[in-house]
Amino acid sequence: MAGKSGRSISNVPEKAIRKNILSWEGMLVVVFILMVIFCRSISPNFHLENVLREMPKYLAEAFIMLPMAYVLILGEIDISVGATVCLSATMTCMACNKELPFIAVVLVCLLVGTACGLINGLVLTNFTELPPMIVTLATQIIFRGIAEISLGSGGSVSLTNTDGFRMIAGKVGIIPYIFFLVVILAVIFAVVLAKTTFGRSVYAIGSNRLAAYYAGIPVQRIRLIIYTALGFMSGLAALFLTSVLYGANTTTGNGFEMDAIAMAVFGGISTAGGKGRLAGGIISAFVIIMLRIGLGQINMNPQLILVILGALLILAVLLPNIAGELKVKKKAANTK
Amino acid sequence: MKENKSILKKITGSREASLLIVLIILCIAITAKSPSFMTFKSITDMLKNNVVIMIMALGMLGVLLVGGIDISVASVLGFTGMIVGMLMKYEVVTSTPLLFVIAVAIGLVCGCVTGLVIAYGKVLPIIATMGFMYIYRGLAYVISNSEWASAENLGTFKDFALGKVLGLNNVIWVMIIIYVIFFIVMKWTKIGRKVYAVGSNREAAAISGISTKRIDVLVYTVMGTLSGLCGALAVSIYASAQPNMLYAKEMDVIAACVIGGVSMQGGRGSVVGAFLGSLILAIIAKALPLVGIESIAQNTVKGIIIMAVIILNVLAQRAMDRSNLKGREM
Repeated sequence: MAGKSGRSISNVPEKAIRKNILSWEGMLVVVFILMVIFCRSISPNFHLENVLREMPKYLAEAFIMLPMAYVLILGEIDISVGATVCLSATMTCMACNKELPFIAVVLVCLLVGTACGLINGLVLTNFTELPPMIVTLATQIIFRGIAEISLGSGGSVSLTNTDGFRMIAGKVGIIPYIFFLVVILAVIFAVVLAKTTFGRSVYAIGSNRLAAYYAGIPVQRIRLIIYTALGFMSGLAALFLTSVLYGANTTTGNGFEMDAIAMAVFGGISTAGGKGRLAGGIISAFVIIMLRIGLGQINMNPQLILVILGALLILAVLLPNIAGELKVKKKAANTK
Repeated sequence: MKENKSILKKITGSREASLLIVLIILCIAITAKSPSFMTFKSITDMLKNNVVIMIMALGMLGVLLVGGIDISVASVLGFTGMIVGMLMKYEVVTSTPLLFVIAVAIGLVCGCVTGLVIAYGKVLPIIATMGFMYIYRGLAYVISNSEWASAENLGTFKDFALGKVLGLNNVIWVMIIIYVIFFIVMKWTKIGRKVYAVGSNREAAAISGISTKRIDVLVYTVMGTLSGLCGALAVSIYASAQPNMLYAKEMDVIAACVIGGVSMQGGRGSVVGAFLGSLILAIIAKALPLVGIESIAQNTVKGIIIMAVIILNVLAQRAMDRSNLKGREM
């Protein structure tokens, strides 16, 4: 495990790492500004009011990104979040159409999401030999499958009563509620990750799980909490998605896992675990949201947008790796 | 007495043997329910409909053996299939062999790019192939330009999947040939043994002089090549090319391997296991409607089966470790 370096204890490399990350986040801010200028130039409709109107649909993915960053820092992955969103949204619409009081509908949504996350967590913590990839692959099929069964042959459901969801989609001035919620949750998740024992334990587990275990960190309990939190946030995303779409179908939430992972990875969070900060993930979430809104406004083929996002995801990992390799080679050449 | 025990142990201990038993029990149960299942026609129909998954399971076997994963295979299939369909529709290329060569070549390039990014770019396989999954699927949509190639556009190309040699469908022959090649390569050639070596212990393999990166690129390239071939086969079998062809079927391919006893950590798994795993998956899909489970519930049942299999694997492994320990105590 020597090759997979954790967070270093000595002072000097710590500074270098911090400088690196700081510059990565600084770069992201520049990218964000460039993105806004770029979108403004390609689309005349790209101004604050329009952007804020279109934002809720995409902000739902930012909810998922926050706990997904934790999962990635653990050195793990969860590809079932899209299916969790699909299942929660389906159940929410069905509960709403059964004329349940709105507070019960919200509860159903969050409970379904949490239950999905809990199932992932329980399987992964009880059978620690299993790779998260294959477990969440199986639950992904199951969750979406249950949604397919409940949706029946039609494959979709629409809300008959949209009053409650209209309330959720409300605004303060021109800023939608969801924006405030994302900001508040982002701050909470970032502070927990950076400043609490829990957050530091996540880094410890991601850097070296065995060492963390011997240091007395409750590895399995922390994993269970994180996967459950991811399920809960997926439920929350489903709630806000429903308030925009007024319905659900078998393809709801398709690709959310990639978007959430892309946001985190583009924000400098390492998929090998143990490295990265949430601030980068949050900035990159807004970069990607701006890109989607801008490209959507010039009526670009949504599939082509997926191609661009896929390429961004790969390049965000590939380029730093190549740059790092070149740096190492240069150093080696210098010392010779 | 001792010999008896070892034979018994060999049968219960061998993954392939237990799979075969499951397969036979499944077949007997289904035949009891619907006697028409065990006819030559019904079985060849089932094979023909599952050829694509069965061939791709071989490529996935290689990828899983080196400890990787590739979830972009269905997208590569859709991409190449769409190209073949469009070439045929606009009569750019109409010769069937040439179309197959084009599909295989495109698949090869796609797989090679994936392999290079993973091996030399050091991107985690799941992240890289997740990106490529969306890239290739998106490109399939872009190429299709919201059109699709139907049976009448495909002219002679669809005849390939209708033709027969020695009473067996062409596509089944393709599958058999590929399986035989893989069986020989994985068991008796240097390349095959190197793949196992890299999967069981990457560092040891590297020290013993195997270029692990080259092996990585190789398995992803083979995977891509087979996906490309399957793209052409799928267009021929289903007599249509749509951009959402076999959407999300990469899960079936991985599931077939997992059921067939291929380890997700690498190093363990066999061609026979992949074959039996994909066959069991195909038979289950065929059996579900017979036992009264509607087609809409098929995905859920499939997911539950995968989950059950991987959990049973862990439990069996734990039991085996325990009994090994006991043996040592004696």
